[in-house]
Amino acid sequence: MDEGEKRFILRLFSDYYRKAEIEVPSVEQREFGAGGFEKKIESRHMGFESNAALQNYLIRDTPLYISHSIAYYRFPRATPMENKGWMGGDLVFDLDVHAGLFLTKEEQEKVRGDAARLVEDFLLSDFGIRRESIRMVFSGNRGYHVHVMDPAFRMLGGEARREISDYIAGKGLDYRSFFSSPEEDKWKIYGPKEGDRGYRGRFYRMAVKVLEENPGAIHRRLQKPEEAALLKEGMRTGLWSKTSIRDIVERMEAVAKMLPVQCIDVDTGVTIDTKRLIRVPNTLHGSTGLIARELRSLDNFEPYRDAAAFGAEPIRIEALQAVPAQEFLNSTMEKLEKGEKRDVPLSYGAYLLLKGAATLSS
Amino acid sequence: MEFSFSSKYPFTSEARQKVDSSSLELNDEIMERAVQRVVSALKGEKGQPYRLHPSDELLELGSYAAARMMLSYLKNRFLTGRFAVAEAKRASAFMRSDSEENLRKLEKELGIEPVEIGGKLVLPVAQYVSFSPRSVDYRLIFRNVSDGHVEVNRAEVIRLMEEAVKMRMEELKPIQNPPKIIQEYSRRLMALVPREAVMRMSFKEGDNPPCVERLLEQLKGHQNLGHQARLALAVYLLAKNVPMEKVQSIFSNFPDYDEKKTRYQLEHIRKRGYSMPSCATMLSYGLCVADCRIGTPLRWKAWTKAKSGSS
Repeated sequence: MDEGEKRFILRLFSDYYRKAEIEVPSVEQREFGAGGFEKKIESRHMGFESNAALQNYLIRDTPLYISHSIAYYRFPRATPMENKGWMGGDLVFDLDVHAGLFLTKEEQEKVRGDAARLVEDFLLSDFGIRRESIRMVFSGNRGYHVHVMDPAFRMLGGEARREISDYIAGKGLDYRSFFSSPEEDKWKIYGPKEGDRGYRGRFYRMAVKVLEENPGAIHRRLQKPEEAALLKEGMRTGLWSKTSIRDIVERMEAVAKMLPVQCIDVDTGVTIDTKRLIRVPNTLHGSTGLIARELRSLDNFEPYRDAAAFGAEPIRIEALQAVPAQEFLNSTMEKLEKGEKRDVPLSYGAYLLLKGAATLSS
Repeated sequence: MEFSFSSKYPFTSEARQKVDSSSLELNDEIMERAVQRVVSALKGEKGQPYRLHPSDELLELGSYAAARMMLSYLKNRFLTGRFAVAEAKRASAFMRSDSEENLRKLEKELGIEPVEIGGKLVLPVAQYVSFSPRSVDYRLIFRNVSDGHVEVNRAEVIRLMEEAVKMRMEELKPIQNPPKIIQEYSRRLMALVPREAVMRMSFKEGDNPPCVERLLEQLKGHQNLGHQARLALAVYLLAKNVPMEKVQSIFSNFPDYDEKKTRYQLEHIRKRGYSMPSCATMLSYGLCVADCRIGTPLRWKAWTKAKSGSS
């Protein structure tokens, strides 16, 4: 990107910040970091007295990236880190897509679905966090950030956060650990039962479902309704040995294989870091020009339609590489060949420029 | 006569208030008890020897406070770690036979407050993960978790409280210019500590996978590790042909190190030919830190070599 293009982009960003509504909870207790064309975080240890001061900074000094600490500090600007006086931090999850420069529709949908499940199945259902304490944010690029601002979780250290992150990611999940046999009665096998929650409950419900829909996947003999009924009856109270199939635990591998589908690939490194900087919600992402938009609901959210910041006024660009066709602002952007010049909507043009896939053309 | 709540749990705010409101002054009797308290922790005597008569409450509390001051002054992580383990075990021994009333009081103090829901004892998730010991049995992933609660039983609650006491003991406020008597007895204390106990370990770094490096790092910081972590580390070191004596000396960095027990366990591992836990197993123990996808931590060196050769 040449200097003129950089100025062009920064002017767009600055204009956006004049109208944007940026509100960071407890803004005065957060550390801020900003980045530019060279690095996502070029300067750290910044602080703002109020959201208005932050917004002023964004309009005047317009960085390409702006992040705030998940942590609350007594002295956010102090250095080194130990002098800041850590007072706890939000619990944050980062969901990302590991893919090429441009995301396919399927990749977008998968990560959106994962974010929704993270909130519904894990944060609300398993961890009992209230919806009001959860802030869902499109990351501005490929994925989603979920901020949990529940005071009960605020003081957790890195190790405790790792337990939570591992739980959600299903790290180290071995279904055999759900089963045990008493010393004095080796034939008896105890396992998950009706009413169990967490992964035990998920496993139980999946096993029942497979028994009802496709018992042969577990064992040939279970295709006989009496045999399946016998096992199911025992399972209800947690007794899994009520069957003539001796290696029933091994046989459940077929069910266990489906368990990881219910886990969510959250980035552990982000969650366990109690001093992490994370993109400020509703600011722009410097690699896309998209808004890291805070979302009330993930349903029907489409980043390239709902997070575009600069409108559809046409702008002429030249593709520096082949760009696949994609949906943007409710219409289909035709694919571009390398060297091809075309008028495109401003938001899309800025997006390609920032991705390094196009240059301004006259 | 019963031990008072404060005598059993000298780390509580109630105990601190008692000390503050008394006109207790540090004297030789208290200091000697304090030194004994730390030394017996070092020997792994689990607190029995420094139990005094119940009527000596202030001496008990004073010696605890003085021991903490010496540890703050000495800033020796090994000593602090050993003391933390011993004090936590001492407290949990009391907890196991204590009254409901005292237990409720202690739960409140430590921030571990189980409640009964639908006939089941449960603990808020955040409290649970804050204090769950590093052992596979306590991993959140294998527990019943719902509506913000983790199912537990009474014995597990006590185990978590023990962990909470240990963590509290590991945290020391720095003290500037302690009273002369603290400085003097700190010197005496150090003279009683066997030299090898505070010796820093040495081990070549960089040759080990991230999970093992992390364990070594924690060990170097004299942190306690769970059973699976120790086993994995021992098997790894033995598999790498580190001599038994060297492994033994590396393990002596653990705050709860017991020479005889460790030797027995290392022998046992060698005789039985324990094999290295696979990466998948390390993961399920919560010990995997890097996702290197090499199958077993033992393959690290070959893998990094191959990698650097190809790039």
